[in-house]
Amino acid sequence: MAKLFARRRDGRIEVKLNDEGRAVAREAFGRVYVAEHDSEHEWHKTLNSPIDPSRDLDDPMLVLARQSQTGSNAELAIATLHEQFLTPQEAWAWLTTLQVALRATAVVNNIYDEDHLAAADPVLLDYVRTLQIFLFALAELL
Amino acid sequence: MPSLKPLRAPDLTTTTTTSTIDEVERPWNVVVWNDPVTPMQVVVVVFKKIFGYADNKATALMLTVHHEGRAIVWSGAADKAQSYCVKLQVAGLMATIEQDAS
Repeated sequence: MAKLFARRRDGRIEVKLNDEGRAVAREAFGRVYVAEHDSEHEWHKTLNSPIDPSRDLDDPMLVLARQSQTGSNAELAIATLHEQFLTPQEAWAWLTTLQVALRATAVVNNIYDEDHLAAADPVLLDYVRTLQIFLFALAELL
Repeated sequence: MPSLKPLRAPDLTTTTTTSTIDEVERPWNVVVWNDPVTPMQVVVVVFKKIFGYADNKATALMLTVHHEGRAIVWSGAADKAQSYCVKLQVAGLMATIEQDAS
């Protein structure tokens, strides 16, 4: 299989995704960004899971910090979507935003274990596998 | 006439109970939970990046999460535990904090 990402000597990450691959990334980045800002989005609750489950409410400052950092990563990923080369910081934004999208997809589709994953709809399973392949390829370089 | 009774020294001993002291001093754990979709390599990279762990420590913790369903990845002061937990959640991992039981 052709490499999806490659590390250059200068430390930058080359994006070798084709148009179809970039379209998958664009969709994932966009959904994370919208979900973080829209409390009605189906992913919003997943992006706001408890920090300390023993308390009724988490510290609002921590919640705000999390929203801000997740939103910033998604914004940076969207802004660099068409770049051929990513800095390590930009590649980290891609990795974290794709990972947030992957886990949100799993949670809203009730994929809580391997059995649920194996029984998932083929289209959903294909999407999950695609994000996993992107993540694995990026993680190898970071 | 002035009293010859000695002045009573103020009570400087603390009234804080032992259990309260324990509660304050017990460390807070950052817990990462297993999920069926996150690639193992991603978990290792996130642990290395956020905590600065060496590859073997990050891998060992990832395997604990994978096999036991959860792992305590850091323990210490409450504010730092909260900060680490937020960073892990921003990186897309399922993480919470809890106060050490012992």
